[in-house]
Amino acid sequence: MDNFARAHLPRIAALALASASLLAVTAAEAKEITIWCWDPNFNVAIMKEAGARYTKTHPDVTFNVVDFAKTDVEQKLQTGLASGTADALPDIVLIEDYGAQKYLQSFPGAFAPLSGTVDYSGFAPYKVEVMTVDGQVYGMPFDSGVTGLYYRKDYLEQAGFKPEDMQNLTWDRFIEIGKEVEAKTGKKMMGLDPNDGGLVRIIMQSAGQWYFDKEGKPNITGNPALKAAVETVGKIMSANIYKPANGWSDWVGTFTSGDVASVVTGVWITGTVKAQPDQAGKWGVAPIPALSIEGATHASNLGGSSWYVLESSAEKAEAIDFLNEIYGKDIDFYQKILQDRGAVGSLLAARGGAAYEAADPFFGGEKVWQNFSDWLVKVPSVNYGVFTNEADLAVTAQLPALTQGMPVDDALKAIETEISGHIQ
Amino acid sequence: MALARRGGIGRYYDINGWLFVAPALGLIALFMVYPIVWSLWMSFQSGRGMMMKFAGFANIARLWNDPVFIKALTNTMTYFVVQVPIMILLALILASLLNNPRLVGRAFFRTAIFLPCVTSLVAYSVLFKGMFAFDGIVNSTLQAIGIIASPIPWQTHPFWAKALVIIAITWRWTGYNMIFYLAALQNIDRSIYEVARIDGVPAWARFTHITIPLLKPVILFTTVISTIGTLQLFDEVYNLTEGKGGPSNATLTLSLYIYNLTFRFMPNFGYAATVSYVIVVLVALLAFLQFFLAREREK
Repeated sequence: MDNFARAHLPRIAALALASASLLAVTAAEAKEITIWCWDPNFNVAIMKEAGARYTKTHPDVTFNVVDFAKTDVEQKLQTGLASGTADALPDIVLIEDYGAQKYLQSFPGAFAPLSGTVDYSGFAPYKVEVMTVDGQVYGMPFDSGVTGLYYRKDYLEQAGFKPEDMQNLTWDRFIEIGKEVEAKTGKKMMGLDPNDGGLVRIIMQSAGQWYFDKEGKPNITGNPALKAAVETVGKIMSANIYKPANGWSDWVGTFTSGDVASVVTGVWITGTVKAQPDQAGKWGVAPIPALSIEGATHASNLGGSSWYVLESSAEKAEAIDFLNEIYGKDIDFYQKILQDRGAVGSLLAARGGAAYEAADPFFGGEKVWQNFSDWLVKVPSVNYGVFTNEADLAVTAQLPALTQGMPVDDALKAIETEISGHIQ
Repeated sequence: MALARRGGIGRYYDINGWLFVAPALGLIALFMVYPIVWSLWMSFQSGRGMMMKFAGFANIARLWNDPVFIKALTNTMTYFVVQVPIMILLALILASLLNNPRLVGRAFFRTAIFLPCVTSLVAYSVLFKGMFAFDGIVNSTLQAIGIIASPIPWQTHPFWAKALVIIAITWRWTGYNMIFYLAALQNIDRSIYEVARIDGVPAWARFTHITIPLLKPVILFTTVISTIGTLQLFDEVYNLTEGKGGPSNATLTLSLYIYNLTFRFMPNFGYAATVSYVIVVLVALLAFLQFFLAREREK
């Protein structure tokens, strides 16, 4: 055996080398696009669907969709960008809209501009705005977080309210209804995580304001929408019409378990609401309540995210072409992900298809998608800036004090001090 | 023979010796000295993400005007001042109880109390989160036995959230400290206690006048270790509060704040490095203080 190996070793080595180089050649021809995103039932599933569609027409391109938790995606991305080692990064990454400017501005040159390729006029303007820096547009706008008020028809009926009573509410009326619901049914009106600034953001944006003005300067003490939003959340907490939740899954549990009568959040929650088949027919969807201040609307946004191509990616050209082909043009794709996953895309041309006109039996035959798409165009456009996470924590830090009777103006001052400290 | 004769200063010029330690020295330089020096250099820079500029003492000045940093520092010191003494005392009491040879099921109790500190940090935090949920087992038990009338908002009220973190880390680390005390107690001569008992010294006095003084070096050791651990407290708070240190920053620690500054907020690596050097300085100061106090008492 030893002799055999010794005699043939050069040939074996040559064969191994040859096959290795052959493999390397074929590997270079087949392109694999690696994608990082979160939520297996939503983003991951949708991206797999998009990849399958593209591979049909481009058999040489395959996709590797990697599923992480959202914070893990953000942390890995931030670490990878900071270390400057491109090998550690994917070709395409999903970024939540609130964080887009932060990444684009603090890691200049890390993301590929798509301005020349993608026709951005076809997308909801507020989505394009969050990915624009110095006139260059980065990223492919994806799902919208247009908000709605999901409510339990059965609980509200027990409390003496009809679906018509839930239309065009004000927040004060919403709180009154909440008190009635608790008195009559023993159920809380909503789940609320006091560590999550989401509700404040929804209410504030519905009146066309944000923590920052168009120039990115803090807009706190002189911001009537923020003041009203903070006041409203304070009222909800003092009225005790909410079930406290700690963290996301806890919060989801408040309504999947049937403990609360309504949910105010982004359209992407639809899949989670519908995941409880025994609650079919019990839910309705209405526009969110409005503030009683100038500029108040019933439309707002929570979350929503977009796809970004890394400048360092070896498959940059293919990645850009893929996003443009599927997310930028494929109307049929948008119909499918709406029906399958409840994804309301921000490509305006996709809003006319049959899927949007379909009635949903889970919501008692309401045409909920049509409603969401009507509200989508009414969402006031704001500048999320680069410090939304900081502002969010500053706001939630003041919420408990508010319920103990702290004047709103003092709370706003404290919020402003905290945010100013972060802006350097 | 030649090697054995060479000693003193001559050893430093032996190239073979240096070659032997060179790989280790190289690794230490690369993975310890370089990051430490670099992070110190970083703490004098500021900026968004990769766009860092030399900022002199701006980061240190920022510390004084940063309400979140002050809050994180206050919280960390609160944990330190409240939790460490409770835990040390509890561990001491448990250790002397479990040192009693007449106690039935000693091995079981020792294992049971030590077990928490070998469980995974994340697993136990998640478990605590579930147990102390608004309608979790702790609230329902307390209600069932009539101690409280309405559920305690363990995770959504600033005071109770802090209490929860203290309960959690006490549960996790008391057994760890207890093991040190148990080991030290085994070395105390039984006859000392026997003499004291014959002389009619009550149990409490035996504990305060014999056990504690004899354990002083171990107490010092555990206090310093606990100080370092508490000042670096991260996992429990991160997992109990979904990384936010809430409600209302009430549980935010310095380590969690560093994490937020690096990974959650607009990345400011310079300022994060400055905050981490605050921990270094605090640990050094507190450890020095503890050594100093212990030495004073020995006279």
